[in-house]
Amino acid sequence: MSNLNDVGHLMHLYLDEIDPGDGTHSSEFLIQASAHLLNQKGGRNWVPVIVKEVSEDQYEVIGNTFVYAVAEAAGLERVWCIVADDSSDTQTLTQVLAGEEIPKINLSKASRDEIVAALEYLVEQSGSALQSIKVAVAANRIDEAPRQYWTSLDPIASLKCGITKGKKLNALKQVFYLTPQPMPETITDVAMLQTLSTTELKAMAKKRGIAGISKLKKADLVEVLSQSE
Amino acid sequence: MSTTTISLRDILRSLPEGAAEAVVELHFATQLLKALGFGPQEVHPQFPDGNNKFVDRAARKTIGDDVFLHTKSNPYLLLELKGRDINLAEGTKQYQSTVRQLKQYLLAPNCQTAQWGIISNSCHIQLFRKHGKVVFPATQCFALNEDNIDRVVKEIRRKLEQPPKALTVSVYNNKGGVGKTTTTVNLAAILTFLGKKVLAIDFDPNQQDFTSSLGLPLSEGHVFNALNDRDADLLSALDTYAFPLKKGDRELKFDVIPADQELVDASDDSLRKLLKRNMLHRKLAAARQNYDYILIDSPPNWRFFSQLAVYAADVVLIPTKHNNLFSLENAAMAITKFIPEIQAEKADGSPMPLPVFFNGEKITPSQREIAQQEITNIIRAAKKDGFDLLPYFYPRYTSSRRDLHIPHVPSYANIAGAAFSRTPAVYRDRYAHEYYKNLAKEYFLQ
Repeated sequence: MSNLNDVGHLMHLYLDEIDPGDGTHSSEFLIQASAHLLNQKGGRNWVPVIVKEVSEDQYEVIGNTFVYAVAEAAGLERVWCIVADDSSDTQTLTQVLAGEEIPKINLSKASRDEIVAALEYLVEQSGSALQSIKVAVAANRIDEAPRQYWTSLDPIASLKCGITKGKKLNALKQVFYLTPQPMPETITDVAMLQTLSTTELKAMAKKRGIAGISKLKKADLVEVLSQSE
Repeated sequence: MSTTTISLRDILRSLPEGAAEAVVELHFATQLLKALGFGPQEVHPQFPDGNNKFVDRAARKTIGDDVFLHTKSNPYLLLELKGRDINLAEGTKQYQSTVRQLKQYLLAPNCQTAQWGIISNSCHIQLFRKHGKVVFPATQCFALNEDNIDRVVKEIRRKLEQPPKALTVSVYNNKGGVGKTTTTVNLAAILTFLGKKVLAIDFDPNQQDFTSSLGLPLSEGHVFNALNDRDADLLSALDTYAFPLKKGDRELKFDVIPADQELVDASDDSLRKLLKRNMLHRKLAAARQNYDYILIDSPPNWRFFSQLAVYAADVVLIPTKHNNLFSLENAAMAITKFIPEIQAEKADGSPMPLPVFFNGEKITPSQREIAQQEITNIIRAAKKDGFDLLPYFYPRYTSSRRDLHIPHVPSYANIAGAAFSRTPAVYRDRYAHEYYKNLAKEYFLQ
């Protein structure tokens, strides 16, 4: 289906052969004003649209959707495009490089500096739900938590760093993803035990054959489990 | 030994003028590492740093049956080589980019254990030390010739074989009231909390804030005596601050050299007659082997005491206030004038100024803009005098990334008020705790 020879080429394609894909979220003003400028300044889009070939002479935009929208508004018949391959990796990468999507980092393995940078980025977004959080505090708490075992970002809400469930926690999903390790069979680390619920702790104690735990409070359970093998 | 030194001189003589990196590598690097005490089994060429880059040479002595060439683990020294066509004289563009490169390698994942880095093109050579996250010069940048190469290599080898344990940090700004004491107290406390062995020195006899904020008694002449008498030991003036922990019977402890009452009345002039500028540095020799961090709270202005404190330091930490233009201008003054003055006298490349940080009230976006405008002016003014202040104000700024981030420790009632309770704020207030932990990690801890 795909004509491999065209991959990587700069081509002057007919606009009506290109499917705009997901479309741009840009404002009417930016598109119209840019279209006007494009017509005034020579009519050539030096920044190309990135497309993939979906069938013979049929293309789909995977990056620089804005440029496509401007070319359309400017009434261009043909637009300069770079043909990329049709893998989904290429699409993700192109959208990130074009500044259309936010890249994510792996919170299971990220370094502290990476976490700080990601939080700073989120906080500095205008209208960010996270504007009130203290980056230094949140970064320390997240960094020190047993995040390699997290299967979701929910434990962040219980770190007492100002990031609560709802908008704030959801904002983090823009920049973090997880590839959790399986929980070890025997946990004795206090910090990690504290992230588990009382029910989970009791189940764990039972498994290890510790008696007399049914009436214990969470703090005591943690203590008992941290000292048993 | 004599055979290797002779051959290093021979190599220097025989290398062609514009020798490319590969030539320098083949002839010079091998001999250099040999002269520094590393055998063939102890050197690895093109060592992978863990960030998909390769260091020209990495070296470590064999420990038991852990031979570096085989295990490739825990390098001790990194060597970044250049050809003779690259000018490594201090201050040149190529020098700066080479130093940047070395720093990146030293901080890379596979090089966490590396304590030293060398840059050389066989015409110049400079040794850098890494302590935690801090990379700073350990020698000046020597111009090599046949007459001095033996001496220079010997000096580098001596340093490699006796690595000091401590990083000595002077907290200095010639402007008063920017939070030098608060910074020193809380850094000492948080580093102690993080398991480091810390010595804190109150070197501001006129204010004595540090000593009194911990509720410790002033020294009565011990410090002055230790500085003045060549046989006296500075650590005899030692006191200890202890903070009992709620759980168990453990406590957090760090050592303090308190301010000295006797020094309050001493004028700069009279002190200058008795003391040399290097005296504190010399007297700390034993402490440098004993502690992880030595923090010095130095007085404002550029008094004799400040000079002693800055001389003793490996690195200088400069607190500023975003809403105080003078604190920013004074930071620039310290970096462009005072610290280079000490560097010239000390002649081992240190002390190195660390990038400034903001200490103080919350910063609103418009205040940030004003501060950035002021900093831009300061940087522009310094540039006219040929001094690049950019890395000291905006360490993350590169030619392709205009990142104007400056670390910030907000102050509020709890931090300032901690002095009355005779307890560092980081032990009392959980936000202060996190902020200073953040500062410690941003600047010092790997």
